[in-house]
Amino acid sequence: MKNHSKIDPVTLRVLGGAFDTIAKEMALHQYRMAHCTLVTESEDLGCGLFMPDGRQIAESGNSPLHCGSIGGYIRGVLKKLEGDIQEGDVIAHNNPYMGASHTPDVGIIIPIFHEDRLIGFAGSTSHWVDIGGSQPGINLDALDMWAEGIIFSGAKLYEAGKRNEQLWEFIWNNVRTPHENRGDCLAQIAACQFGKRRFLELVRRYGYETVMAAAERWMDYAEEALRLRVKAVPPGAYFAEGWLDDDGKNRGKRLRVATKVIVSEDGGLTVDLTGSASETETGFNCPFYGATCVGVYAAVRSIFLDEYTLEEPVPQNEGIFRAVRVVAPLGSMFNPRFPKGTFARLTQIQRVADNILKALAPVLPEPMRSAGTSAHIHWLSYSGFRPDTGDYWVHLEPEAGGSFGGRHGRDGSDATAVLCTNTRNVPIEHMEKMFPLRCERYELRDEPPAAGRWRSGLGIVRVNRVLAPTIVSCEGDRHFDPPWGVLGGKQGRPGSLTKIGRGGKREPWPSKFTGWRLEAGEALEIKTPVGGGYGDPYQRDPQKVLDDVLDGYISLETAKSDYGVVINPQTMQVDTKASEKLRKSFKFSKQ
Amino acid sequence: MKCVGVDVGGTFTDLILMDDEKGTVFTHKVPSTPRDPSVGTLNGLLELCKTADVQPSEISLFFHGTTEATNIVIEHRGAKTGMITTKGFRDIVYIGRQKRYLTYSVQIDPPWQKHPLVLRRYRLPVTERIGADGKVLVPLDEEEVAEAIRKLKKEKVVSIAVCFLNSYINPVHEDRVQRLIAEIYPEAYVSLSHGIINQYREYERFNTTCLNAYIGPVVAKYIKNLKQALRSRGVEAELLLMQSSGGTASTAWAVEKPVTLLTSGPAAGLIAGTKFGQLAGFENIITLDVGGTSADIGVSPRGVMRYKYLLDTKIRGYHAMLPTLDVDTIGAGGGSVAHVEQGVYKVGPRSAGAKPGPACYGLGGVEPTVTDAHIVAGRLNPDYMLGGRVKVYPQRSKKVFEEKVCHVLGLKLEEAVLGAIRIVNHNMTLAMEMNSIGRGYDPRDFALVAFGGAGPLHACEIARELAIPHIVVPPLPGITSAIGLLLADVSYDYSMTIMQASKGLDPEKLEEHFTELEEKAYQRLRGDGFADDKISIHRIAECRYRGQSYELRVPLHTAGAAEETLKNLVQEFHRTHHREYGVSFPEREIEIVHIHVLGVGKTSPFVWKRIERGTEKPDSALKAERKVLFEVDGEPQWVQTPCYERGDLRAGNVVKGPAIVEQPDSTTLIDFGYKAEVDDYGNLIIKAESEEH
Repeated sequence: MKNHSKIDPVTLRVLGGAFDTIAKEMALHQYRMAHCTLVTESEDLGCGLFMPDGRQIAESGNSPLHCGSIGGYIRGVLKKLEGDIQEGDVIAHNNPYMGASHTPDVGIIIPIFHEDRLIGFAGSTSHWVDIGGSQPGINLDALDMWAEGIIFSGAKLYEAGKRNEQLWEFIWNNVRTPHENRGDCLAQIAACQFGKRRFLELVRRYGYETVMAAAERWMDYAEEALRLRVKAVPPGAYFAEGWLDDDGKNRGKRLRVATKVIVSEDGGLTVDLTGSASETETGFNCPFYGATCVGVYAAVRSIFLDEYTLEEPVPQNEGIFRAVRVVAPLGSMFNPRFPKGTFARLTQIQRVADNILKALAPVLPEPMRSAGTSAHIHWLSYSGFRPDTGDYWVHLEPEAGGSFGGRHGRDGSDATAVLCTNTRNVPIEHMEKMFPLRCERYELRDEPPAAGRWRSGLGIVRVNRVLAPTIVSCEGDRHFDPPWGVLGGKQGRPGSLTKIGRGGKREPWPSKFTGWRLEAGEALEIKTPVGGGYGDPYQRDPQKVLDDVLDGYISLETAKSDYGVVINPQTMQVDTKASEKLRKSFKFSKQ
Repeated sequence: MKCVGVDVGGTFTDLILMDDEKGTVFTHKVPSTPRDPSVGTLNGLLELCKTADVQPSEISLFFHGTTEATNIVIEHRGAKTGMITTKGFRDIVYIGRQKRYLTYSVQIDPPWQKHPLVLRRYRLPVTERIGADGKVLVPLDEEEVAEAIRKLKKEKVVSIAVCFLNSYINPVHEDRVQRLIAEIYPEAYVSLSHGIINQYREYERFNTTCLNAYIGPVVAKYIKNLKQALRSRGVEAELLLMQSSGGTASTAWAVEKPVTLLTSGPAAGLIAGTKFGQLAGFENIITLDVGGTSADIGVSPRGVMRYKYLLDTKIRGYHAMLPTLDVDTIGAGGGSVAHVEQGVYKVGPRSAGAKPGPACYGLGGVEPTVTDAHIVAGRLNPDYMLGGRVKVYPQRSKKVFEEKVCHVLGLKLEEAVLGAIRIVNHNMTLAMEMNSIGRGYDPRDFALVAFGGAGPLHACEIARELAIPHIVVPPLPGITSAIGLLLADVSYDYSMTIMQASKGLDPEKLEEHFTELEEKAYQRLRGDGFADDKISIHRIAECRYRGQSYELRVPLHTAGAAEETLKNLVQEFHRTHHREYGVSFPEREIEIVHIHVLGVGKTSPFVWKRIERGTEKPDSALKAERKVLFEVDGEPQWVQTPCYERGDLRAGNVVKGPAIVEQPDSTTLIDFGYKAEVDDYGNLIIKAESEEH
């Protein structure tokens, strides 16, 4: 595209704003009208507008792994269909070896034509609650990608405007939740058609050349913004590692996540995962383009162009991706070989993102620095049969509410989705009304947060009791390797899963399992990890320590032992003198 | 009957007095007095009474819109609040929906955690549990409750929210706690979750209840103060407060449920804009209210105002799940700052606010704003801001644009100011598109009603962008929201969650539920003194396809048998869904999630006096000519432009663009290719000239 840098600044702002708004509107349409709670309540979806070669112009920003991956879906479709794309096509795609993020995230892609020329795509992904395969809902222990469910490789649901009725019926005959899936699929199609219509209006209004030039410049702008901020870090190579629990089958065999971050002079970043574990024999692998790369992009963006601290919003698009290079050897967990299963890729990606934070922690400017986050998910699927109709019921709860580590100047947020996850919880009153499940506890964990000048946030504890025989599966991690502290902050606490029998007997369960059973009256307790602390706990404002005691985060004893703050139990006031003395003696004994 | 509407905003308090027998209207604008808003209100009112030659005691209705409830939330100055909740669920309001409201962030600190409405130390769990079917699974431990109440009392917590799981289906435990509080701590302000909003979704219901508890005592005090101030000066009028739903409410209701007042300002604007659009003869209306810091955009298809989705009704990140008129507020106004980021030209959402304000006010503003752009472009008259009551320094506007924009981007001054206006217009256009095209409404079928101090300056360009054929500028654009107060009837919303598939639903049972809610509405309205012939009842069902989470509101037509009603409801839902999203699924089962009864008490009829008729020629209103900057054939050009005094225009006058129409509270720009006709009510109706050829 020539001369695109010459587009006038006003038109650029106008069109850039329009691209971002259209992508957001697409998603609004999609999740408001979709039919399964994973989309409508949890917002596990993404939408965007794309160049004819698949580069992302704009995204809806719902769930980072969804939004960032759609360009890869389009590249996969382009390769598969070899140019056989026409006006009126509606293309389904979820092949993880052709750009998809993982099999249940089904992409719907609609080409946009203007005067017989392909000028772009409108794309959407949505996590289908079930895609067939050997297990309902979550299917971690899958031999290969076919065991995970139906594979769409650039399958045309509509060809030149005409629906392929046989394919259409075939799909709904091969999933466990056909009504929900069909509604979700139609919502995706409607969202893409909406995006297409709005994009064409822009082209008609401003002209093809101008719109495409603005798209190019919009990407350049994001790339420049990222590079500018990366330059705040001295060039060099930085390293961090972490350990995942296991692959869901070979119990106890920890899996290494090695992350080297190379910062170059031009503000570019390379994230090299060489040295990480080899591909696993289960579905615990990350598709390289659809998951590994996208997770890295999201992490880099979140650290350097943090929407909370940025004064001005910077768009998320291909420009961000261009400044980042990802390396993972073929045959590793982050770049598995066809046709390995890749159903579960989120916890690995979370750890890569967290490792990037960890590697850069010593060199990041203070406003960008953080201690380790929970960097996890505990994705649970509960399912069974409805006694009245015999239908399957499937309830998915992305237990994403983890915790942030302490940050410079602020404590870690509690019970919030971190890094590459960003789903909503399902209302308990909804779950109890719809499924034979009862929640008995959903609140912050009882254990204290990780100490620090700015302490960590707390994870969640949930107890769900099943009221009917239930099949349970979980994609989780981080039951062993706790989140890290920084600059003298303490390390956090791992998560856990515990089966609670009818008589109250507790039995630890691993973080990953597929198709396990709970009998009516049995329960599952989920605890999500607690992030790390930031800075020396003895420097924590004593008033904040007192607040934590009053709010039940820590005990009087912990205030004293971890923070050197003495609180008078009668008055519940800080004993300043005693605290100063205690803190001094700590310092002395440390030396 | 003499009615007064008083709209207290951050900067100004707008007042209007209307006498429906004489057909007279008087207006006034005074500076707000944030420390004690009743001072500004009372001063303004007494001055207004004097002008209108009306005794304060003659006023029978006093309609009030206030940002007080909103400001309590924004400024974190609510009451010390406690919460009694189900054991095991202490942190529901703190966790929220666990989603980051910003996707890409490591440093995020969500407002509900940074400034919790109820500190954890005052969130006290007690043993009890209601099942999803309404059965008591675990009885309420009254000893624990009593202890919790005593603790809160000891801690000097003044307001208590009572929030139990599944209380929407069985409120027995919440009711019991209320009685225990009345025994142990009768002075406490109490909010029960099922009483505030009887709908499922624990986080949203609990949080709405906590918000109510948090602002309740402060709002109660505000209302008491205001009432006393009014009574002390002989104002005996009934005080009615605007709600977010677009209806007004008695002070008793407002004290009980102040959370219903949170977004009353934008609601009043939408009501007034819709009314003037209708007076001007239009059916489908988009409203645009542009003030100093923000622009409010609303849509009334066929004059019917829409409500927000219940999952979208937030105030500064705090959820308030209540019927709220769908007005979209964006950071685009006169104070929006024009600035450059890495070569990209941006306007807003940052605002220079009231202080320091635009550079031209000389109050310390050093950044160029939209108002400065209008000053440089000659669109605003520096000698006639608020009728000349505000001093303006045009040189300062020019200087900041040159320094902060022209030098950085290499633009000429004219390009920079027109660019700023175009960008802010486009931001409004995008928001308008989301609310119209985005919801299946074609702007070409609508009229744009533009008001607020700055709305009429931006209307032509926005209308052109969206191909909206007609613009209506109401007679008093700057105080249109205050007029909206007078237009609103008293209304109370009662709801409950029934969550049932339409197929299995017993029509008789549905009828029973509705009747139960209607009884409450009648009781409340009769208690306010409404005779039955002034009361109307509206039934609404919120429905969805099974699995969806965003319900659509469907009005119920009650004539005929119960089965017929249900059938009509289902059909109407499919139609609504089709219009909203472009598709419907007639084969899919629908769920009736919540039902609402809206009880409406008719207040006074609204009479807007017609103005004198004149000829087509507006010459008698012509007051000056000046150079105004326009974009002509893509190039900025200074054009000698006539300038008219709005108050001197007569019905039938036609003003051809380019032209400026000035009045103390607002300025209207009539662009090239547009012409404005004055209608009998004093509205300016602007349309493209080419339309007639």
